[in-house]
Amino acid sequence: MRIVKIRTRVNGKDIQSEVEPRELLVHFLRENLGLTGVHIGCDTSNCGACTVLVDGKAVKSCTMLAVQVDGREVTTIEGISKNDELHPLQKAFLEKHGLQCGYCTSGMILTSYWLLKNNKNPTEEEIRKNLSGNLCRCTGYQSIIESVKYGAQLMMKEKEKEEQQIEVR
Amino acid sequence: MPTINWNDRELEYDSSRFVKGTGHFVDDIKIQGMLFMTVLRSPYARARIISLKGGISSKDLGAKIASVGEGASEGEASSVEPIFASGFVNYVGQPVAAVFAEDRYKSEDLLDSVEVDYEPLKPVVTIDEALSSPPIHKGMKSNILSEAVKGQDFSDPSSPIVLEDTLENNRISTNPIEPRGLVASFEGGVLNVWASTQAVHSVKNGLAETLGLSKDKVRVMQADTGGAFGSKGGIYPEYAIASFASMKYGKPVKWIETRREHLTSTNPGRGVRGKMKIFSEKNGKITGMKGEIMVDAGAYGSGSGGFSVPFIESMMTGAYAIEKAFVTGKALLTNKVPQGPYRGAGRPEASFFIERMLDLLADEMKMDPADVRLLNMSDKPFNSPLGMKIDAARPFFETAVRELEYRREAKLAKGVGLSFFVLVPGTYTGESARMIVKDGKIGVWLGGNSHGQGHETFIRKLINEELDVSKELVTVYRGDTSVTKDGEGAWGSRSAILIGAAIVAICKKLRTEVEKEFGSYSSESLLSRDHDEYVFDEKPFSLTSFGANLATVEIGRFGNVRVKKCNAYYDVGRALNREMVLGQIHGGMAQGIGQTLHEGLFYSEDGQLITSSISDAGVPLAEDLPNFGVKIAENRSSLPHGAKGLGEAPTIGVPTALIRAVEKASGKRLRKTPVMPEDLIA
Repeated sequence: MRIVKIRTRVNGKDIQSEVEPRELLVHFLRENLGLTGVHIGCDTSNCGACTVLVDGKAVKSCTMLAVQVDGREVTTIEGISKNDELHPLQKAFLEKHGLQCGYCTSGMILTSYWLLKNNKNPTEEEIRKNLSGNLCRCTGYQSIIESVKYGAQLMMKEKEKEEQQIEVR
Repeated sequence: MPTINWNDRELEYDSSRFVKGTGHFVDDIKIQGMLFMTVLRSPYARARIISLKGGISSKDLGAKIASVGEGASEGEASSVEPIFASGFVNYVGQPVAAVFAEDRYKSEDLLDSVEVDYEPLKPVVTIDEALSSPPIHKGMKSNILSEAVKGQDFSDPSSPIVLEDTLENNRISTNPIEPRGLVASFEGGVLNVWASTQAVHSVKNGLAETLGLSKDKVRVMQADTGGAFGSKGGIYPEYAIASFASMKYGKPVKWIETRREHLTSTNPGRGVRGKMKIFSEKNGKITGMKGEIMVDAGAYGSGSGGFSVPFIESMMTGAYAIEKAFVTGKALLTNKVPQGPYRGAGRPEASFFIERMLDLLADEMKMDPADVRLLNMSDKPFNSPLGMKIDAARPFFETAVRELEYRREAKLAKGVGLSFFVLVPGTYTGESARMIVKDGKIGVWLGGNSHGQGHETFIRKLINEELDVSKELVTVYRGDTSVTKDGEGAWGSRSAILIGAAIVAICKKLRTEVEKEFGSYSSESLLSRDHDEYVFDEKPFSLTSFGANLATVEIGRFGNVRVKKCNAYYDVGRALNREMVLGQIHGGMAQGIGQTLHEGLFYSEDGQLITSSISDAGVPLAEDLPNFGVKIAENRSSLPHGAKGLGEAPTIGVPTALIRAVEKASGKRLRKTPVMPEDLIA
């Protein structure tokens, strides 16, 4: 089997690696880099458990080849907290019980992360629509929707705080 | 513990890990030298194997699978599933051979090295075909796997109203988002298994029995388990194959199911038909009920097909005081994957049959469905002729009708449905727990294993109440058969009841011990000494509870149903943790909506599974669902900690309320789940 060299940036770290052309991104992240927060739930890109950010955009890493992230930047659930401080969305999912078994959680958080990047204060309907590529079998989604709403609030508060600090300086 | 580098802290139940992506699911296990297993599966529903070359197959492992876990029953010898198909294949997806390589890509490549020639045979696909066809298994006289009767037969009374109907719940895939999987590693004469499971002891007992190992040579440990809903309660052929291979090759073996395999080869639930006949007085009072049920058991008796029949039968008078009832039933063998438990496991089917008849009676009488139900309830406890003991139903239902604002809703819209049910939790044989007090801390292990329900939260609360030990000092660990001597599993709405009772029992024992030693009890005295207590709480008791649901819908011009409201009023006993209770109910309601409007496994005439993805299988999306309205009644049970069953309530109550709402909105009598758009506009 031919081996291809790729250079990519994963969770802020430069990575050089050798992969088979057929290797899926999700397997590259899990097996080669040990980022097991990325999960596999289906074979058909329906469930979203494998969601990661590629160049800031939420993608399903089971539908992308590792070679396709050559020269690009990947963020996984392991990469969204800063210095052990949980990201507001992570805090929100914990506090609002936005999970039960925990298997869909990283995908849910990363899809929500991308949603909130583009829409700081989404309506419930917008959240439901945007999360419809991520399946949860445990929660009935209600607590997940609450978590995203709460996460949005926390992020807005954080932003305000940052802006105030800049003014003070 | 050999070969795996998870430390103590990583064996706790701790949901905060999941938001960080640092959970420990079975596919996250990486061991030096581990082989990855891929299973070659039958492409035919029924065929003779003419020749087979390559891989591990029935010539290497000729055993049959032990029937263990929720609803397990011994089938006739000739209907027990072999680990590998031998001579014949009997369902699409049945394991025929297995191959092994150092990673999953190479392992899948190896599938090409196995050569199988089949002679396709005409399969038996439906319940009706099973009744009319010669037996699918040699050595059997018919396709009847088991039969059971409940109640006393009676001659049809000359009632003024006699109603008959045939009702059905299609098969459903359980579809936890994490598929099945395990890692087996045979070292120093001991088979170590890490599994995604609801029940480490069932997996242990099943593997020991299937592979002929002594029970003390098998240790099963639970990985973080990404949902189960009934499908991860026992063992499957793949578990025995991976274990066998780890012994044969002297290397750890990992097997992780794909979603496609989940759909073809993991025991699905439901698949039950009921023919109902009710006899009523002129005023709508039901005097008698007769039923005949048919369970599509699939190809082998290793699922729960045999158990389903008497269990469903016993609940078929629902929450109503029907004095005469008689039900016959059969589990039938078909060329499909064996049926198993799915959240509710017989309860939703029984409730569907009786509730659909109550609605039919209401329409016949031109009465409100709530009034017909009230008329048929008792205000005293009632022992049904089918053997079910229930509390006084009427007071609860009257409150439920008010709490759900049913009368108001029924005036406002056409598409409104109301349901009422009784939940019978699976308390049989009780449950185990072990508590170790050491170094000023408490560790807890359970025989029945949480897979998202959050057992740790109520255990900490109960220990805090009973022993005044702060929650931070209590750690609940994932299941491990080397720590608990015995155990059942987390299923059947049983955990808050049984684990709660076991924990309280241990706490009382510890309190007495401390009092004896120190004169009086204090948590400091308790934590100053080492203790080690194990109980298997075997009190047999019946602890049923009531619930009611309300649903409202609108139907679009293409028959697409929009669920506007889906509300619940359930008696959960004492709610040990309100958030967890609501989480269980919301999740179950989503599954109830799924069963009614979206979900099903569908087979072609030749037994091929047409449902090809999790999306096809109909798992509801966020945008399919409404915001749920849940009210809970906390009528304490007779147990010291006051809990009742809960987890399966919504999958019983939602389908019956929702299908009635759709029936009212569409004006068409509906007899089957799932209700498809084409059923509504045709």
